[in-house]
Amino acid sequence: MEVKLLTEHYHRPEYRKLSGYKLYGGYQVLAKALQMEPKTIIEEVKASGLRGRGGAGFPTGMKWGFLPSNHEPRYLLCNADEGEPGTFKDRLMMEKAPHQLIEGMIISAYAIGSQKSYIYVRGEYFDSIRILREALAEAYKAGLLGKKILGSNFSHDMDVYSGAGAYICGEETGMISSLEGLKGQPKLKPPFPALQGYLKKPTIVNNVETLAAVVPIVRDGAKVYRQNGTEKSPGTKLFSVSGNVVRPGNYEVPLGLPLKELIFGICGGLKPGRKLKAVIPGGSSAPVLTAEEALRAHLDYESLAQMGTMLGSGAVIVIDDSHCMVDLLGVIAHFYHHESCGQCTPCREGTGWIDKILHSILSGQGRLQDIHLLERVSEHMMGKTICALSDAAAMPVLSFVNKFREEFEFYVREGRSKVRGVSHAQM
Amino acid sequence: MPKCKINGKEVDVPQGTTIIEAFKASGQEIAHYCWHPGLSVAGVCRLCMVQIEGQPKLQIACNTEVKEGMVINNNSETVKDTVRWGLDFHLINHPLDCPICDQAGECGLQEQYMQFGKYDPEMAEHKVKKCKVVDLGPTVVLDSERCILCSRCVRFTDEVSKTHELGIFERGDRSEIGTFDGKPLNNKYSLNTVDICPVGALTSKDFRFRQRVWYLKEHNTICTGCSTGCNVKVYYNEEGCWRVKPRYNPDINGYWMCDEGRDIYKFINKKNRLQEITMTEKGVSKVFQAEELLPQLGLELKNAVQKNPESVALILTGQYSCEEYQSLLNLMVKSWGLKNVFHWVNHPESMEQFDGLLLRGDKNPNTKGLLNELDLLSLTQTWKDLEEKLHRNLIKHLIVAGPENLATFSDVKEKLKLFSSANKLIWLSAGIFEGVSSVCSQVVQIPTKTFFEKEGSYINHKGMKQRVTPGVEIVKSALSLCEFVEGLHHDNKGAHFQDMDSALVDTKLKEPLKENFFTATRGSL
Amino acid sequence: MSVVKNPGSASKWYLPGITIGLVSTFSTMIKNLFGRNKMITLNYPEEKYEYGPRFKGNHILTVKKDGSLRCTACMLCATNCPAQCIKIHAAEHNDPTVEKYPISYEIDILRCVFCGYCEEACPVDAIRMGPEWQTPALSGSNFTYDIRYLAYRPNLKGGIQSRLDDEERHKVGI
Repeated sequence: MEVKLLTEHYHRPEYRKLSGYKLYGGYQVLAKALQMEPKTIIEEVKASGLRGRGGAGFPTGMKWGFLPSNHEPRYLLCNADEGEPGTFKDRLMMEKAPHQLIEGMIISAYAIGSQKSYIYVRGEYFDSIRILREALAEAYKAGLLGKKILGSNFSHDMDVYSGAGAYICGEETGMISSLEGLKGQPKLKPPFPALQGYLKKPTIVNNVETLAAVVPIVRDGAKVYRQNGTEKSPGTKLFSVSGNVVRPGNYEVPLGLPLKELIFGICGGLKPGRKLKAVIPGGSSAPVLTAEEALRAHLDYESLAQMGTMLGSGAVIVIDDSHCMVDLLGVIAHFYHHESCGQCTPCREGTGWIDKILHSILSGQGRLQDIHLLERVSEHMMGKTICALSDAAAMPVLSFVNKFREEFEFYVREGRSKVRGVSHAQM
Repeated sequence: MPKCKINGKEVDVPQGTTIIEAFKASGQEIAHYCWHPGLSVAGVCRLCMVQIEGQPKLQIACNTEVKEGMVINNNSETVKDTVRWGLDFHLINHPLDCPICDQAGECGLQEQYMQFGKYDPEMAEHKVKKCKVVDLGPTVVLDSERCILCSRCVRFTDEVSKTHELGIFERGDRSEIGTFDGKPLNNKYSLNTVDICPVGALTSKDFRFRQRVWYLKEHNTICTGCSTGCNVKVYYNEEGCWRVKPRYNPDINGYWMCDEGRDIYKFINKKNRLQEITMTEKGVSKVFQAEELLPQLGLELKNAVQKNPESVALILTGQYSCEEYQSLLNLMVKSWGLKNVFHWVNHPESMEQFDGLLLRGDKNPNTKGLLNELDLLSLTQTWKDLEEKLHRNLIKHLIVAGPENLATFSDVKEKLKLFSSANKLIWLSAGIFEGVSSVCSQVVQIPTKTFFEKEGSYINHKGMKQRVTPGVEIVKSALSLCEFVEGLHHDNKGAHFQDMDSALVDTKLKEPLKENFFTATRGSL
Repeated sequence: MSVVKNPGSASKWYLPGITIGLVSTFSTMIKNLFGRNKMITLNYPEEKYEYGPRFKGNHILTVKKDGSLRCTACMLCATNCPAQCIKIHAAEHNDPTVEKYPISYEIDILRCVFCGYCEEACPVDAIRMGPEWQTPALSGSNFTYDIRYLAYRPNLKGGIQSRLDDEERHKVGI
């Protein structure tokens, strides 16, 4: 079942304006938060067990706790560079409730003591950028941003920054490089952004959904927030369901929900006559689940990790039996080849290599040893680079090849797809 | 002082040392491309992987600091396999045109592949095609296909020369090094990017295709292009000298040298050199051997000085070694009693200039050494005095220890015009300058040895004394000033070279960090 | 090949020895008189013996389709040459796909030991050893072969074309 903690008022068109947002309790939480000690807010977020909704699932309160306790200027960055194929939840949040994000960000900034924050929106989200800019103007006008917010001693500035469409800028250090005006390439860690990030100053980077979720946590307290979800993955999360389901879309459900219920219950199941073949539970970089595994899976960080995959950004891609896995992997590999920033050698060369191998398989010129080679190349890309893009490229390859090996072997032997019947070369 | 264990060996390193530095310090081998001790850490080649006990993932050695009690190894099968694959990733789009690549023989990719490589290429797809000949600027050519994108050159222009000309354009395996439109790689240190390029992607226009490196021998010496005195290697073979590269010396030049200094090999090559001792009288030149001419010349000069000290003048440039000044001044000033000693300054207006990194306006290697010697003998006459004396026709004999490197002397012509009032000019120089033979009624031209052919020491702007050793004989009849003095003064043998030692700071020529394996062992084939 | 035949005991004596020798001489003379085409000796230099194409004689530099030199001036032949008789000077080519080419390529044939290592070292089939072996000359300078002789001497009829073609190699992605 859906639990609408964040998305409760998303169906109301007036909710995206400040006046409409205020009608449903908007910015009252901010007023409450400004009365609290920043430390209490951090404690509250820690107690709520909120985990980063961008993909890694790192506990947010703990991340905030890494900031040095001096009075250096520090930055809060909102990661709205939603590039993971299959994910479209942040866009919904920014377009339906920009003020919810802004309120969450002001509270978070107050908690960590930041004077300046940026919302880094991916370049293709023209509407989101426009709506956020309008909302920011409204908030400044209403005294919710700028000097002495709501009469308190806290001042804060916020800006919207448009990316240029690179997937890698969704990685936090890549995003920082991009914001600094450099080429969007991840930076070496250590130093971690919490110590040396944007302009070499302590920086916290959080996903849109994470920052928005701060609002209900501060409003209701950690205890209430924990009523949803599981012990280690509390709260609700937006899932972007796409692929071969009857009702694709964004759904806010409590974490720990069985994947089966999301697909067959909320999303209305598959089209008649089709059979479930596979599910990618967390965006294109997450290892794929077979139908049998998918029916057992629960949507929380731990149980998916146990199954060898990950919750990621919550992009559930449902694949039915009308699709060829070799085709799908070809598309994914091409994407990562295109998006690799080219800094680290294993990723730069490996993504290209995988793409080329899959291309030759798809054009009917594959060799049987290529399947083994795909695995070996992926294995040697895993965990060898600065950021996780090479892992993101390698994991789907490994899981696709492992779990659907007979489809790959069929393609190589016969020169055509087991499902489609014809190869790319013949099409 | 954290202690760590590297491949089972206890290593003690200062606080803040990275693992790769600890590896180097303990003399153990580790593969790497992008790391360079003179540049910041990029961590992109992913070859210097090490296993640290207690950490699940392999770490890169260049960005990990040594902590107390770390147990590090890079000889486990996992690490070796990772390095093998890392090298293979580097090579899958590398063109393997080693036969026509200038770097072959001193190439990091070749060396490390032989040492750590997989030897079993599995890449069966087409390689990425990029531009083969990219003109980056007046000195450097880029071959994008050979480039492994280690970003050393980019970091060099960002961090050392601070000119920011280079950048990496495009993404993924389509990445290429490049310059911005209308902003070519054109700075005074651009050729250092060629030195630090671990592959043959960046090549120097000056050296490109001239020689294969395995035909070259190297000789450690110092650059005499300016008063910084950078430590360099000169590469030579039987056909002459071919290029100059910097050697590491933390006190003087670090890892770098300027582009100007790289041209010093040109003036020591035979075709630019004065070949024979000649005497020109009334337009007729005659070649002499040193043994026949010098004693006679010595006698003549000695008599002239003793008859009238004012009639003989000695002009010195800052181009010679301390020992040479000493022996020349010992003979002429101390034993003959010469008073007229002058210092020829080639660029008086820019003497004190400094560009903040290495390049100095004083284009002589040993101005400081010369001034020291002149001070010791309290010789304080200025150039103005010389001009006046020449105008008054007081000076009959003029001995000029002239420029070794003519390229740094732009004023030779006007100076020669000034010298023409003397009767006899004794011109000591390594290079050929047109018209010297017709300056005075009698001109003796004596070819001198360059820094590459003699032993001696030079004092740089900081007062550091550096010794050079002879590399190879280039011009047979060339003399050092010491040999010249010995020739002039036969009964005073022994007073040169070895026993004249320094009272000043002495820094020995440091050994380079790593000898070029091929030139060191194979030499000229 | 020298074959030592064991002379019979008869040849130990003077007259039988002479007789056996004369029989051998005259039988060869008669054979040669009546079967001149089977004669082993040649009337050099009017008649010449042609060796097989795999004979390692004088060097040939191969050319590309357009007639320019195949050689890339990598100097591997010169490096590999045990007699050090190859001298190459390289230069930059105007065509960026060619990059490097020899402006002079000289073989001192008097020093050459015809070992064939240059042929083996060549990565691009630019140098071969041909069947020519008799190239007398009157002056010493004629024994230093330059590009004009090595690649374009008249009996090569415009040059021997190399098997390896750059364009084809580029096409298959090498």
